[in-house]
Amino acid sequence: MKYINYLVLLFLLLSAFFLKDSIHISTNLLSLFASKENLVKLDIADKLGYSKEMLIAVKGLNSQSKEEVKELVHQLKKLPEVTMVQSSIIPTKEIQEYYKNNYYLLADFNTSSYNQELIHKKLQGLYEKQLHSFFYTSVSKNDPLEIFSLKQVTNTSSSTHKGTLLTLGEYGYLIRVRTNVSASDMNQAKLLYDKLANLFHHYSNITAFAPFFYTVENSAAIKADVSNIVLISTFLLFFVYYILIRNIKLLFHTVLALASSMLFATLLTTTLFENFHILSLAFGISLSAVSIDYLLHYYFHDFYTGKSKFDKDVFYGFLTTVIAFGILSFIPIRLISQISIFSVFSLSFAYVIFTFVFPYLKIQKYEETTHQIKSSFTIKNYWVFVISLLLYIYTFSQFHLDTNLRNLDYQNTKLQVAEKLFKTANENKLFPVIVEAKNKEELLERLELVKKNVHQSISFSSFVLSEKKCQEKLETLKKYDFNYLNKLLNEEANDIGFKKDYFKESYKNINVLTCELPPLDMFKIFSLSFYSTGKKIYTIALVDDKSKIQKFAFVSDLDVKKMFQKATDAMYKYLTIFGGIVLVVILLLLYFTVQKRFLYALNYILFPSALSMAVVTTFYNVNIMHLFALIILVAIGIDYGIYMSNSHQKSNTMKAIYYSLLSTFSAFGVLVFSQIIALNSIGFVISIGCIAVFFLIKVMK
Amino acid sequence: MPFFKLFLLLVLEITLFSQTYSFTELRYSDAIGRYSKVDGIIEFKKNGLKIIYPIEKKELDYDGKSIVFLSKGQKLPLPSEQERYMMYYFEILKLLHSGNEKELKENFTVEKKASHTVLIPNGMLSYYLDFIELTEKDLSKLDYVKLFFKNKDTISIHIDDEIH
Repeated sequence: MKYINYLVLLFLLLSAFFLKDSIHISTNLLSLFASKENLVKLDIADKLGYSKEMLIAVKGLNSQSKEEVKELVHQLKKLPEVTMVQSSIIPTKEIQEYYKNNYYLLADFNTSSYNQELIHKKLQGLYEKQLHSFFYTSVSKNDPLEIFSLKQVTNTSSSTHKGTLLTLGEYGYLIRVRTNVSASDMNQAKLLYDKLANLFHHYSNITAFAPFFYTVENSAAIKADVSNIVLISTFLLFFVYYILIRNIKLLFHTVLALASSMLFATLLTTTLFENFHILSLAFGISLSAVSIDYLLHYYFHDFYTGKSKFDKDVFYGFLTTVIAFGILSFIPIRLISQISIFSVFSLSFAYVIFTFVFPYLKIQKYEETTHQIKSSFTIKNYWVFVISLLLYIYTFSQFHLDTNLRNLDYQNTKLQVAEKLFKTANENKLFPVIVEAKNKEELLERLELVKKNVHQSISFSSFVLSEKKCQEKLETLKKYDFNYLNKLLNEEANDIGFKKDYFKESYKNINVLTCELPPLDMFKIFSLSFYSTGKKIYTIALVDDKSKIQKFAFVSDLDVKKMFQKATDAMYKYLTIFGGIVLVVILLLLYFTVQKRFLYALNYILFPSALSMAVVTTFYNVNIMHLFALIILVAIGIDYGIYMSNSHQKSNTMKAIYYSLLSTFSAFGVLVFSQIIALNSIGFVISIGCIAVFFLIKVMK
Repeated sequence: MPFFKLFLLLVLEITLFSQTYSFTELRYSDAIGRYSKVDGIIEFKKNGLKIIYPIEKKELDYDGKSIVFLSKGQKLPLPSEQERYMMYYFEILKLLHSGNEKELKENFTVEKKASHTVLIPNGMLSYYLDFIELTEKDLSKLDYVKLFFKNKDTISIHIDDEIH
């Protein structure tokens, strides 16, 4: 039996080896926070190239910066990941050709009839202009009477270009680049990022921004940050376990048991659940360290060498913690539910190992050393309760929620400044929406409906007609007698003095027009593309007023900020509901477990949470991670409350908690040194919570 | 297409290196089979250019961002589409004025003949313009610039003198 701890780990390692193909770990951070519906939407937007655009600003509107724009465009076009570069407002040859060939279909048609007198007047004006105008104007052979009018679409307003070059307000020239790199594709993003960094290195006055820059820069920063934290944490844990326990055998078996419980939970969660996130895994592994409580309590109370086969206090502590996490595993916030599920598995496994396996490991009895933990200064437990309530009143008076999820991420100020530059200087205020349909024809018809309902928009319907609309247009054109118009036109032109038969071909080819869909690829310069799943087809339309098309079920808003705002609101709502349930259940369990010492035990939940929240609300806005850390704090606090209330060997219990606190700080408290706000927030709350528990152990009576 | 005359003026500028000069423009309209003539002055400024038609009392002032159209001292609006096209040509004018040979070659195919030089436009201009013919008076001065449009219209510009 003494090898059972090794055998358990070996069995789990073998299982991991055989199950390695069934393990699913997700690295998509969005999947933790965005709803399923929003994730689908963002995925479609990604497929449509929404996040694949890069903007480059060259500072200054002078000849040197203009020269740099040209050089950059030349260099960018050489990169295989770059699919489009736009620095000028001049339309492409392909689009010009398209407009020329489809002029009569695309142009607005003035159906008012032209009589002889009107034609004469119009032609006479044209003749005079040719003779006397100081501007050179050409005469259109196709449409001399100008009964068709076509306004070409540009993706720029008049204030966003200087001459023919695109500009970013008064800041400088602008280059729009489309890449084939998605913000979620780390390898591709890193490859292009390095190439671009190499290219931009030669230019001193350029600023560039693309969503995938965040992917590359933030993940590098997060990796470096997490490595440091893991290093500090590991060092501290070993320090706590070895220096304080002073038993190498026990330390070795404890590390084995913790590794087994972490591996057990990892295997279960990553094979049973799809898209179990790496961040949940990391948090879950940290939380597993909480189970050291059980070991320390057993060890200091001679459970492994004594006659007792069951410790009620440890069991109650374990049960309340597992029930708390069990309830939280139903919360519809992926990060929290995943961590909770992981914790239930790992803590249960650790409890079983520490309770039923460790007694067979022949661990030596703990040799008591004199530790002066209890202070001579004491406070009655009801005063602690009153102080806790006062701290809660203070907290509520200072309470401000931070609803911006982006604040939880690593704060890449350099990129944020660049992103802001492009947002503030861009005066072209059009907002993206996703439009879906069953097929291309329905998609174009729906885009026409969108176009009709807003004042300004850019979509495929700015360039292409649906079959239905095209046929309607052909019908309208057929009703008009262009042959008669041509006859009248030529007669009048001859009378006025135009060259004979100059307008012979005017309005002639209208009768042979057909409705053919052009290759839609040519419009990618306007960031337009479509994505088909087989069942549905999607595209992005840019509109000036989203509220006017909200009524259409086939239109979905693509405001990422709004999406996260909604997600955050929902998170706070769920966290309040589930937090409330957890609290009620914990209070009930606590009451049945400790009964007369209820207030005393309750203070181990109330005081640490009240103190940490009071400090947090004094200095920061409260974010979702602060609240999550609060739940962890409550779950840990309950163990200490039960142990302290029921303990008959107070000094050993205090010692166990004291070491356990150091262990918790080593696992979670060190997160306070992280630059990632999400981790830092957890570390901050847990650290203050640990200090509060330490204070209670020392002074509460 | 309007303002091709500006185009030729810019070509003149390469050789003449003057900031302001007068010109005579002879236009042939194939639609009516007749010629017309206008006289004007062009002035190159730091960021833009200005064209004055003294007889018609009309002015076009381009500051590099927008065009102001004055008729008898009164500011008149230009349709945005027309303004956009004018800016294309003004930018080419400025390009030629800058004498940037590399950029000139990006926009035109240059063919040297015995008595003249031919510029064949690349890109969008080729939709409207067949070619430009430059005739030199001597080694350093342009005499005529002739634009041949797709619709068989032509514009000949003769440099009368330089104004300093």
